[in-house]
Amino acid sequence: MILTKKKILDEVINSRIIIRPFLRSNLNPNSYNYTLGKKYCILDKKGLGDCNAHNLKTIPKKGLLLMPRVLYLMHTHEIIGSHNYVVSLIGRSSMGRLGLFLTLSADLGNLGKAHKWTLEVYCVQPIMVYSGMKIGQVSFWKPRGEITKYIGNYSNYNLPKTSIL
Amino acid sequence: MILTGSQIIEELNSNNIIISPFNIAQINPNSYDFRLGNSLKAYKNVVLDPKIRQDVNEIKIDKKGFTLDRNKFYLGSTFEKMGSNKFVPIIKGKSSLARLGLFIHITADLIDIGSINHWTLQLFAVQPIIVYPGMLIGQVTFWMVSGEITLYNGKYKDTIGPCESLSYLDNNN
Repeated sequence: MILTKKKILDEVINSRIIIRPFLRSNLNPNSYNYTLGKKYCILDKKGLGDCNAHNLKTIPKKGLLLMPRVLYLMHTHEIIGSHNYVVSLIGRSSMGRLGLFLTLSADLGNLGKAHKWTLEVYCVQPIMVYSGMKIGQVSFWKPRGEITKYIGNYSNYNLPKTSIL
Repeated sequence: MILTGSQIIEELNSNNIIISPFNIAQINPNSYDFRLGNSLKAYKNVVLDPKIRQDVNEIKIDKKGFTLDRNKFYLGSTFEKMGSNKFVPIIKGKSSLARLGLFIHITADLIDIGSINHWTLQLFAVQPIIVYPGMLIGQVTFWMVSGEITLYNGKYKDTIGPCESLSYLDNNN
């Protein structure tokens, strides 16, 4: 089952869902609008990359123009997570309607530690993005069965993290 | 939990789900096949800025079909007016069209509860592909909710046909 606005709010108050910072006005009927964080990185021509301090860039105040056929790794401004509900992160329809892919294929998160989520961002036409803009939505789903916590590595990162495959 | 086809029919009969027009032949075991409307929109600008209202060209899809260019982005819409005040809809492409490289949404598959109107489709073709008015293009699933329901009352409420991004109305962009 997917959580409604009221239920998300209740569980944020109960600390069973973590969203930090949290703004009540960013609640939708069945999701929460997250905003875009400041840091990003681009993969190199071989499709490889490492988002270390050396090649991690900052979105300028006047915005960043994304170009087609380039994969950008960005991140949520908010720390988001839950040990009790499964998260799913997608883009907002207002951004999707402008041809912006936000999370490529893998929109399903793991139960576990709250952190800033890496976003795979890809555009069809060149598009401006701004840090702090409402860019996507996270929904929360009630699982069935005993909960095993995620022990993978990605939840340790609060900045864009390249694939550790 | 996801609704089965027979539950979707039951909820339609109770007015908890709206699909108009409805055709029982389009019911699947756990979804409903929806059709493509007869018009598309494409942005006039190449470079898009969400802070600025973007003008669009309207394209009528005639019976002979319209070829989607793989470098362009198009907005289409469902032929049906759809939604629910009780369940959360999630849309998917039809596997038959996905196998041809067609995206019908590129990120936003989750529909707000209470958004009952034509839904805008985000069309992107990996290879050129011909689309036809009224063709079966996607599937909608319906999911049960946990918690008290608040209905959608946002900026896309009651839209007819494809609706371009209204992100420029956001005050904090």
